[in-house]
Amino acid sequence: MTDMSIDDYLAHGGKLTSPGNVPARYRGELLRLIASFVDSELAASAGFADTINDAPGIKSRIAAARIVLEKADHAERVLAKMAEFGVDTARYEGVHPWAARVARDADLSATRQGGDMRLSVFHYPLQGWVDAVVMNVVQGLAANVQIAEMAQVSYQPLAEVFRAIGPVEARHAELGLEGLAHIVATSEGRAAALDSLAYWRPRVAAGFGAAQSERFERLARLGLRHRTNEALQADWATALDAHLADLSLI
Amino acid sequence: MARFLPLEVTDVQKDTRDAVVVTLRPRAEDAARFAFTQGQYLTFRRDFDGEELRRSYSICAGLDDGALKVGIKRVDGGAFSTWANEELSTGDLLDAMPPMGNFHLPLDGSKGRHYLGFAGGSGITPVLSILKTILAREPKSRFTLVYANRQMSSIMFREELEDLKNIYLGRLSVLHVLETEAQDIDLFTGRIDAEKMTALFANWVDPDDVDAAFICGPEPMMLTIARSLKDNGLNEDQIKFELFASGQPGRAKHKAASTAADSGEACDATVTLDGTTRSFRMPKSGESLLDAALANNMDAPFACKAGVCSTCRAKVLEGEVEMQTNHALEDYEVRQGYVLTCQCYPLSDRIVVSYDQ
Repeated sequence: MTDMSIDDYLAHGGKLTSPGNVPARYRGELLRLIASFVDSELAASAGFADTINDAPGIKSRIAAARIVLEKADHAERVLAKMAEFGVDTARYEGVHPWAARVARDADLSATRQGGDMRLSVFHYPLQGWVDAVVMNVVQGLAANVQIAEMAQVSYQPLAEVFRAIGPVEARHAELGLEGLAHIVATSEGRAAALDSLAYWRPRVAAGFGAAQSERFERLARLGLRHRTNEALQADWATALDAHLADLSLI
Repeated sequence: MARFLPLEVTDVQKDTRDAVVVTLRPRAEDAARFAFTQGQYLTFRRDFDGEELRRSYSICAGLDDGALKVGIKRVDGGAFSTWANEELSTGDLLDAMPPMGNFHLPLDGSKGRHYLGFAGGSGITPVLSILKTILAREPKSRFTLVYANRQMSSIMFREELEDLKNIYLGRLSVLHVLETEAQDIDLFTGRIDAEKMTALFANWVDPDDVDAAFICGPEPMMLTIARSLKDNGLNEDQIKFELFASGQPGRAKHKAASTAADSGEACDATVTLDGTTRSFRMPKSGESLLDAALANNMDAPFACKAGVCSTCRAKVLEGEVEMQTNHALEDYEVRQGYVLTCQCYPLSDRIVVSYDQ
């Protein structure tokens, strides 16, 4: 009854349940996925913190503060899964300067910066309230698609965390859409929003990764990925276009 | 960080020919740390011929049993399980980490739920903990256990399950599936396969009536059952898995020592990743082993590059390296040859490293 290798088991959709039954290469790729999410959340939270003071009213201040709080909370919950692999999480939290940003016109495409595994989009600086709201909408809708994908990972304890935080992350994008609806009510707001959209859309798109990816193939065999980068990106583009059409932004 | 604490063995009961149930007691000051959730496991460590082995075994006690118990089934060639079955006795001390694991769902005493449990062999241990706890803490809930074993004599906790059926009359059903012994009903003989699952849902259990399912057993069984549960309308959140044992190697191997002279400025590195081995020369200083592998077009795993996250862990099979920083690997992993490649610089003229072990 036990004549099945872990590789076969994973290739057939099997789930792993604790660090004790995780093979070496799986461990490396899993921790990499976790690090990428944690770094992105910490950078997103840190980057958005300044936005609280840019918010035009109390409701928007609360929305921005809530996003900062909850993204840090999500980073902590996912980082806790790393702790089960022996990672010193207290030290990890300080390993990179999460608020650091590159110049607005830097060109990073999708490459990681050193050991900081945040998605490259989180290296770019926000410029004021409208820019922050637009970025939150565009990246927030991408996060919905990416978290739905992560909620399927074959490491069950991690998948469960992603299923728990998915609805809260989705609410962040909704808060962004509500803010954006206010912004586009004026013609200056609409013009500023269009400028920001042109800036953020290609940078968020790059975060989905290359269309033909060897890494995807390897991760798919381990059950750590399921749908291709292209399919995820297409889902995001469809969702984004629908919302932008509602706001007459395309 | 993981920490081991001593547990005193207060009882060892032979359950079947190949399995023991071990009762353990923490020191008074550690009692709170060993408070467990049903379905969790303990990780033990013990030295065998100077080499540390760690093994995880599920707790088989319910929350209200007032004791910490694990079931340990002997596996062929398994050093720890054989030792536990043959030599472990009352009064011994065992080092264990506090309970871990996510094989459980929140309890709610006001709900009347129907749970399904699937256990293969010693996979019964966490399922027993769960079903005992549910029956005690959710008085309106029911539990149906489908329990696969090779033969009658290898069924762990057989008597205890019978007793539980009597205590919780009508709330616990147990369906034994025996691989090699024919029983009256076809469902009960052979292995749990897709056909048996279909029969189960046709004749015994209404899938619409099931609130959640727990599965613990060998890989093929887990796959078959999970697929069938999903086909019958259960979603991911309703299915809890615990995979046991098979990822745990029988015994760690010693690393071979290199006898080459260690005088050069550079090192011949041989690195294996995803079954492919590549050799290259790298300097002994200035470039970490990870960076050298990346520079040679190997897609080695890494994240923080600061010796913290352990994503870049690999095993040194031959030669000596120096690890500048290590905030992730424990001493026993280092003794087995594991290194954080982002912090590693060669000391010997030749090193052999694998990311696959």
